[in-house]
Amino acid sequence: MSDLPFDANAATDPRDPQAVRDHDNHFADLEDSENLTEDLAKLSSERGVDRAYAKDLFRRFVETRNPALREELVGIHLPLVEYLARRFRNRGEPLEDLIQVGTIGLLKAIDRFDLEREVEFSTYATPTIVGELKRHFRDKGWAVRVPRRLQELNLSLNKVVAELSQEIGRSPTISEIAAKVRLSEEEVLEGLDTSNAYAVISLDAPAGGEDAPTVSEHIGSEDEGLEALEYRAALGPLIAELPERERRILYLRFFRGMTQSQIAARLGISQMHVSRLLNRTLGVLRAGLLAEDESG
Amino acid sequence: MGTSTLHLEIPASGVYLSVVRAAATGLAAQLQFTYEEIDDLRIAVDEACTQLLARRGSAETLCIDYHLEPAELRVDVSVEAPDRGDPLAKDTFAWQILTALTDEVSERADDSGLHLSFRKHGGRT
Repeated sequence: MSDLPFDANAATDPRDPQAVRDHDNHFADLEDSENLTEDLAKLSSERGVDRAYAKDLFRRFVETRNPALREELVGIHLPLVEYLARRFRNRGEPLEDLIQVGTIGLLKAIDRFDLEREVEFSTYATPTIVGELKRHFRDKGWAVRVPRRLQELNLSLNKVVAELSQEIGRSPTISEIAAKVRLSEEEVLEGLDTSNAYAVISLDAPAGGEDAPTVSEHIGSEDEGLEALEYRAALGPLIAELPERERRILYLRFFRGMTQSQIAARLGISQMHVSRLLNRTLGVLRAGLLAEDESG
Repeated sequence: MGTSTLHLEIPASGVYLSVVRAAATGLAAQLQFTYEEIDDLRIAVDEACTQLLARRGSAETLCIDYHLEPAELRVDVSVEAPDRGDPLAKDTFAWQILTALTDEVSERADDSGLHLSFRKHGGRT
């Protein structure tokens, strides 16, 4: 539980119109599922969720807005998130990431749930959670399915790069990574290519467990610099549309000359997370650039 | 190790940038670049190629030359462009990106087209 970030304000990403179109077909099968309600009923009875207890929790939470009650409500309903997240697996994202995304939907549902409505919470929450998961895929423009072998390789590389960086105090070389995971350099390179072509970070995960500050808490001191960045760039309007954290990373990397590792330490996220955000942000900016070029 | 050069020609389209990146990654790995250096390199390659693609005019090909030197990779991206303007102005964000990520950036326009080059040091040998 404690490693799930409860930051419902996680940054959203600029959307790719093509991906939005793809996504509508992509998820048609999920919408059509007739068994969903049935499955859900089964799920809650299997879990033995005590409805009266949950209802009481909700009543107390609505009155007090006590975060501890909220967390308990999340805990009780996590199986619902897991269940729904599993329906999106094999679409190229690790299940644990999907569960994190779904948990954000759950939190939104908990915060908005109205006891007067007389619907089961799971019935109420399901569209919100599914909506969050769908939005996640849509935002990522996730049209390509990554082979499972590469997904797994990519996940293990993420871990190993972080571990080795800690161990040796600098970013590891490919041969060091290869030695550690007992693969050929070729295979490691293949995994790294996958990493930037497909993999994306879904959420702000606090770097150091429960008590670590979230990214958003770090942000908020360098606005003057960001303004300058906008004026200096012909890309001004595009940059202005970026989420604040992405703009900040651009600024720190390209105008302050901080390395990815330094930015990672500062924002409390991993270096690979910085790498992905940077790559994705530049991808968005370049897409805008080439689009302008083509239209005139 | 002396200097080796690899030459890559791709259709002038963003679709093939993954190939350009992959080649850069492989070469940098041979030079024992670190993960982070490689990532910087990949971004720089992407940026340089994208900038020239944006100025490609009617050109159909983008050329990338990789020069491997001890602990350094030099990349020269070029496109045949009828328009002889600057490949990339120095007050742009793109230029800023390239200079932040690499050790030296240069641009020139000549009869063969527009060129954007950079060198990146790296490696742990």
